[in-house]
Amino acid sequence: MNVKFWRSGDPFIWLTGSALAFCLLMITGLVGIILYNGLGVFWPSSLERIQLRTGERVMGKTVDRQSIPDKAELFRIQLKVGNRDAYGLDFRWLDEADIESRDRPGEAVVFERLEWGDAYGVIERIVEGDAVLAVGAEGGWEALQPLLDESARRWGVIHAIEDDEMGQINREMEALRREKQMLERAGADSARVAELAARNRGLWNQYEAVSDRLNAVRSENERAEVLLALADGQVRRIRVADIVRAYQPNALGMGGKLAVYLDKGWEFIAGQPRESNTEGGIFPALFGTVMMVMLMSLAAVPFGILAALYLREYARQGFLVRLVRIAVNNLAGVPSIVFGMFGLGFFVYGVGGSIDRLFYAESLPTPTYGTGGILWASLTLALLTVPVVIVATEEALAAVPRELREGALGLGSTKFQMIWNVVLPSALPGILTGVILATARGAGEVAPLMITGVVKLAPDLPLDAYWPFFHLERKFMHLGFHIYDVGFQSPNVEAARPMVYTTALLLLLIVLVLNLTAIVVRNRLRRRYAGSAF
Amino acid sequence: MDRRFDQELDDLRQDLLKMGGAVEESIAQAVRALVERDDAWVEEVIRGGKRIDDWEIKIEEVCLTLMARHGPVAGDLRLLTTVLKINDDLERINDQAVNIAQRAQVLNTMTLLKPLIDIPRMAELAQSMVKDALDAFVRRDVALAKSVGRRDEQLDQLRDQIFRELLTYMHGAMGRPDTIDRAIYLILVARHLERVGDNASNIAENVAYLVNGRIVRHQKAHWWEDRPISDSI
Amino acid sequence: MIEENQSMDGATVAAEVVNPIVEVENLNLFYGQAQALYDINLSIPECEVTAFIGPSGCGKSTLLRSFNRLNDLVESARINGHVRIGGEDIYAADFDVIDLRRRVGMVFQKSNPFPKSIYENVAYGLRIAGENGKAVLDEAVEKSLRAAALWEEAKDRLKDNALGLSGGQQQRLCIARTLAVEPDVVLMDEPCSALDPIATVRIEETISELRKDYTIVIVTHNLQQAARISDYTAFFYLGRLVEFNQTQQMFTTPRLKQTEDYVTGRFG
Repeated sequence: MNVKFWRSGDPFIWLTGSALAFCLLMITGLVGIILYNGLGVFWPSSLERIQLRTGERVMGKTVDRQSIPDKAELFRIQLKVGNRDAYGLDFRWLDEADIESRDRPGEAVVFERLEWGDAYGVIERIVEGDAVLAVGAEGGWEALQPLLDESARRWGVIHAIEDDEMGQINREMEALRREKQMLERAGADSARVAELAARNRGLWNQYEAVSDRLNAVRSENERAEVLLALADGQVRRIRVADIVRAYQPNALGMGGKLAVYLDKGWEFIAGQPRESNTEGGIFPALFGTVMMVMLMSLAAVPFGILAALYLREYARQGFLVRLVRIAVNNLAGVPSIVFGMFGLGFFVYGVGGSIDRLFYAESLPTPTYGTGGILWASLTLALLTVPVVIVATEEALAAVPRELREGALGLGSTKFQMIWNVVLPSALPGILTGVILATARGAGEVAPLMITGVVKLAPDLPLDAYWPFFHLERKFMHLGFHIYDVGFQSPNVEAARPMVYTTALLLLLIVLVLNLTAIVVRNRLRRRYAGSAF
Repeated sequence: MDRRFDQELDDLRQDLLKMGGAVEESIAQAVRALVERDDAWVEEVIRGGKRIDDWEIKIEEVCLTLMARHGPVAGDLRLLTTVLKINDDLERINDQAVNIAQRAQVLNTMTLLKPLIDIPRMAELAQSMVKDALDAFVRRDVALAKSVGRRDEQLDQLRDQIFRELLTYMHGAMGRPDTIDRAIYLILVARHLERVGDNASNIAENVAYLVNGRIVRHQKAHWWEDRPISDSI
Repeated sequence: MIEENQSMDGATVAAEVVNPIVEVENLNLFYGQAQALYDINLSIPECEVTAFIGPSGCGKSTLLRSFNRLNDLVESARINGHVRIGGEDIYAADFDVIDLRRRVGMVFQKSNPFPKSIYENVAYGLRIAGENGKAVLDEAVEKSLRAAALWEEAKDRLKDNALGLSGGQQQRLCIARTLAVEPDVVLMDEPCSALDPIATVRIEETISELRKDYTIVIVTHNLQQAARISDYTAFFYLGRLVEFNQTQQMFTTPRLKQTEDYVTGRFG
């Protein structure tokens, strides 16, 4: 009986089945935790006003509830009380036993601010300069809306002045400075230098004028203020211009909450980061990641495919080729940080330093290409993914049936015609799958980027509307590094936690989209090229 | 090589030889019915003839089955076609034996026209031809087969001699119908024996095809000797 | 038309052919150290079907592939002796292999249509030779597909992917593709071995039609097939040509016992 049981193979089925179940559990656990924590971040949950037995009153959003150690039947809640400017801390733990009553006042508002995090309270009045515009929660909320719109418009003006007009003047001054340096180095041409100085003065005057306009708009923007009564009774003045978003979570219906949710989600994807990356959007990181992946693919894919073609189709299959193949396979397994070091040493200091000495000598000692940048980061990652592309391409080429090659040769093809017309189209699905998987791996890689060009904040995108459009020397932001930075290097780790999960979710989504694309592309091509019959 | 097909071919060959033996026996019995003027042999010949007919059908069926199932080529193909043809010839020889026996039955009711001399000689020659043709088949002996063909000519001469002799009897027997009857029956017997010889030489020719793969019928004599099949390797 | 002769060692029997298109003379072929073909002397008659038979590994496919120099792809392959096609030595130093392969087409064991449309498959040989005129290609495609008895089935779906055809149709497409460049000789390496009997019959009928215009050399493991479709048959064993003769002779009266044993299935 016992022997029969073992011989029947049932235990093996159980073993394999449980291994699979374990893997599935781990994966669903990972995805589940990220989904659970990431998706809820933007939901405008209710504000609770809590009356404590001590007589103190607090207001905030419940974010966690856990049992108190040693007193299993008792629970405490973690409340996000906001108003960091007033309390110094965002979060507060409360024992449920201390709570006398809880309610959700409809007039409670949430202000998301440019600084100091969220503010929770009840509007007392709205003032503009010395004039009182409105008093009371209801009237105040009504009066606030046009002020918010006006503020948003002024911010638009401010950004336009800063980015376009002042940016333009800055660029021109920079160009003048470089020309001046070059002239000085080449030997003085005093007339020209004087002319440059004059133009520089003109630019300065322009700058002053623009700067005055900017200050005017700014001070205009600073006049409207909200007087917000906090739960404990103190009243804080908050500039309307500092308010990014205002809503009354307890008064919102499902539709209203959804609107706020989507608005915040959109800000997350398309907006700039605020408050040392813990608030606002991650657009620069998203953009940097995508652009870096594109540059990397542009460099890795053609080289990888061409190298694999030579290795598989042209090279004489001997000892040397076997050696190269082993080397390539091993290269695919080298830890990525090693590639990062190589990138820093070779690309940044070596190639970049030489470029600077040859073409950007006038800016030295400030490096242009001789420091980390998106180009060097992309090339480093390309180096990392090239072996994967080579291996995948070689395998795809090897899988093309010999009959197909002989069929092409038998009709009088040259070797090139055979490869171009028959072998490559047949191998394409496999090649593309490998390329996209390699790209996905590159997209998720962080370590080598940290030393070749990624920074925690780089508001200037490497691609913009100013000549030469591609600024490959610029440092950039990256989702993976963003997670690391926000989650573990931020001064306010607790407040940044939701950001970490949402960013991780986004990174996961990008990888998922890449892999799905790989599968769809492969299946479509396979349908087109797959052998049938037999 | 031990194969079922080879075994089946061998069984077929054995069946054919047994049938050949029975046919030889039939001729001998028919001739004895004539020479010894004994009707008992006639019964024997007719009874044996029926059995040989059944045999013939069975062998033909086996041949067709083997052809359909094995798609024989080369030596196998030649063997099966040869067996089919020999089978046919043996059946005809058997028919001649039955015919002779029936003529003997009629002749036995009459007195002898003359002592039988040439007919027994013809019978002996025809029997030897049948026997040698079958031996040549067994031994794949083309020389022996060729000798059968040569004896057919002797047989024809003997038949012509008997015809001439009996014709003179008939000429001299004007107005004596029983003489003419008896002469005609003897002529028929001679003709039957001559046909036995023809069939025997057909068998011999088929043996030559079996062995050499050449159809010698209606061909020059040297074709018998051509041996395109090499035994080397 | 043929005369028989027996070579000196008595081991090979080869019919002499008066209108040869392929002539093989003292051909020896080696893969590295191993010899695959020994002293092959053979003449293949024009506009007839010649079948190569023999047990696996007897060198018949190797010999076939030496007619269009596909053996060149095997790095270790070495050859001496001569193969003349239309009187030209195809192993001469300055011989153009690409041109040879246009003149000597090949159909393979496994149907191998390119991952392209039916039309492009047939037009491929002409396109790579630089022919791009639509009228010329259209005509060649139709003519070749008709010759391969595929036109009626394929004419309404010329733009469809060739891999959507059935196995037998794919093989006929490969024949059409080969015919499109109008070769002198068509080599077929077990073209029916992967097909069912019905598809096989259609291919055989196609071959019978083609013999009017083309010289066909076919390697087959199916003796019945060789007997059905070929005019001449060559039997190979252990890299040597054992017997070459008219098919009717080979299957009724083979000269050598070895051939007899092989064709009657008593081999080994």
